[in-house]
Amino acid sequence: MSDADARWERIRNILLWLAIPLIVGLLLASAIVPQPIIGVIRLEDAIYTYSAQNTIKQIHYAIEHPEVRAVVLVIDSPGGTVVDTESIYMELTRLREKKPVVTVVNGMSASGGYYLSVNTDYIFAKPTSMVGNIGVIGYLPPAPFVIEDIITTGPYKLWGAPRDSDMRQVEMMKEGFFEAVRLGRGEKLTAEDNVTFSGQIWSGMDALKLGIIDEFGTENDGSKKAAELAKVANYEVLDLAVPSGINVGSGVFFFQSPDGMQMPYPNEAGIYMLYIPPLPVKQ
Amino acid sequence: MKRQYIYIAIAALLLPALLRGLWFYRGIPAARPEIATPDYASFSRPAVAINTPDLEDIQQLGGTVLLDGAHVNQFLLSDLDGLTSAIRARGGNMKTIIDPLLLETELKSSSAYITVSPTVPFLESEVQALKNFTERGGKILVFSDATRYFLGFDYVSGNPIPYGDVNAANSLLKVWDIAVNNDYLYNTEKNEGNFRNVLFDEFAKNEMTFGLDEVALYGARSVESDSGLVLLQGSESTLSSTDDAHDPNAGGAVLSADGSVAVFGDFTFLSSPYNTYIDNATLIQNMADFILSGERAANFDVFPYMFKEKTVKVYVSSDLEKTPEIVAALGSMQSTMRTLNYKLEFVENVPTSGDAIIIGSYEATDDFDGYLKKADVEIDSDILSTLAFGDVSRSGNGLLLFDSAKKGNTLVMLANSSDDVISLLNVMGYSGLSSCLTSDRVAVCSVGSGDYYFDDTSSDSTETTTEEPTEATPEVSPTPSG
Repeated sequence: MSDADARWERIRNILLWLAIPLIVGLLLASAIVPQPIIGVIRLEDAIYTYSAQNTIKQIHYAIEHPEVRAVVLVIDSPGGTVVDTESIYMELTRLREKKPVVTVVNGMSASGGYYLSVNTDYIFAKPTSMVGNIGVIGYLPPAPFVIEDIITTGPYKLWGAPRDSDMRQVEMMKEGFFEAVRLGRGEKLTAEDNVTFSGQIWSGMDALKLGIIDEFGTENDGSKKAAELAKVANYEVLDLAVPSGINVGSGVFFFQSPDGMQMPYPNEAGIYMLYIPPLPVKQ
Repeated sequence: MKRQYIYIAIAALLLPALLRGLWFYRGIPAARPEIATPDYASFSRPAVAINTPDLEDIQQLGGTVLLDGAHVNQFLLSDLDGLTSAIRARGGNMKTIIDPLLLETELKSSSAYITVSPTVPFLESEVQALKNFTERGGKILVFSDATRYFLGFDYVSGNPIPYGDVNAANSLLKVWDIAVNNDYLYNTEKNEGNFRNVLFDEFAKNEMTFGLDEVALYGARSVESDSGLVLLQGSESTLSSTDDAHDPNAGGAVLSADGSVAVFGDFTFLSSPYNTYIDNATLIQNMADFILSGERAANFDVFPYMFKEKTVKVYVSSDLEKTPEIVAALGSMQSTMRTLNYKLEFVENVPTSGDAIIIGSYEATDDFDGYLKKADVEIDSDILSTLAFGDVSRSGNGLLLFDSAKKGNTLVMLANSSDDVISLLNVMGYSGLSSCLTSDRVAVCSVGSGDYYFDDTSSDSTETTTEEPTEATPEVSPTPSG
């Protein structure tokens, strides 16, 4: 074998045994080891059927996609219906069983919003975010009476329940909320129960002292914390609204006056985990 | 040699993935912990005990309970179902008053007064009338409620402002040293189904709290009194919304120092179904006993509601001829008494039992001697000598004596002449005692101008008129009070 042949043989071996596997390795590596994603789910609305469905879709996306290593739940919500809050809460539980979830409170995480926050691994808020308002609020039905033109098959078919029964039902729902807070925050809570569960809404500054939140921080801090919990670096932050294909738009939750003004209370009577700001109320 | 190439190839193949792994990951994340969530199935509605009091031995107390409807009161009659049933079960009847000007008159025939969530303050004259009412044995129940208010709005900010019943209630209660606070009581630790439904298990020793172990008020204001008795005292975890603190001197209900006025910070507990919860029914029964237990005064303060029974015997002394004018006056009195729910029964002899009205002239003293002595009144030829008012001219003045005894209450009506008797009978009508001097048991009423009518400028007129009384007797005025 001439020198030329030997040189060619060496080049051929390098190409065959080193370069090609390296190129193939490079090509396969991004599939085998994808860049980790910190998914962002935004709940910036009241919690009701529409917003709950959108949030749950994003949670499912995060569960089903392994490259989503952790999730940042960005909340700016006064809460909403009990059942929709519980729906998200249960899906969040499924997500948390697999991946860390960090809450970042922007404007407000009140009532049902906070119910969701406590089912995450860490809570950031701004110093002036409004947090808390733990509890349930309900509109009692009227005392039953008979309407001649409406035929029903039972005394509470039209009214749902006796007023007293509704009150006790609200109390039962409250217990679920309180327990969720106790389980979610545990020993982080520094205040007595009569303070924590008084229904107060606190600024982030007070909430931090009471153990209602963990730290002040932004969405960026939330992503970093999520990455730390998931033990990833050089991650991509991805708003999951886009890949999960949620519907853009909004439904009707709050009552709208005839002149188009949106009121801070819901469109329908019912039982809510909702913060209803007292002011300003115009005549 | 070939094996070395294979190792190199494998290393080259894995190297990028390894490098990516090192670039993106900082270790293996710990296994996710088990996520604890509430055991929703374990939660249940807060239960409440329903206790039924023993209603077999209810004492028939009777009496009229005046229900205030004159102060824009915020309630429906159905809100008071529990209490009204208990009152009726004791033979009491409810009467609503909507005109504050009639309060004083109506109180004369009532044994109790109830005001529920008033929003218009009480007038001084009403307060005084009610104070007098309690001093003669009447009972008052006042109910406030934190859940009753009118919503107003601030002109500038639009903020809602609740106008409740505190100011109006306190305008009445200040004379009894009782204050209703502009708050609501709550207890987040121990309550009846909700934090604002406060349980009370500490009671002052009183007939109103007899037999109670635990009662609940629903959205109650706190009530306090320096001199009175806090009937329902919440536990230390019962707080006021004003300062989120417990005030041992305030509670859910207070009894005035004189025992005549009871104030409750809530009346929701009177309505169904709350009136059956825990010992609320017993409390309501006790309240009914309380307000119907008042001893109604039998004196001229409650004139003409001075009789115990519905039938009153009337005796007209024999010296009074039943002229058409006398018959007309008696008929008018009978008609008036009928509107006051009294039936008159005319008898031939002085009644010895039961309620009675005895009518006569000063001449027929034999029939009234006993009553005159009891009342410390002597009738001379010109003068009525009374302990309460001194000497009074008998001419032109009528005399009312009231005697309350176990056998019955008796009103004696005396005057100088038939005409004066006719005028005196009119005091049983609308003129009332407004032209009379009154003490508890004796009243002297002007029934005409007497003998001074024609000689009012003369300095020695007394002597003249007393000498010739029959000539100076004026025509009888049908309305002596003028």
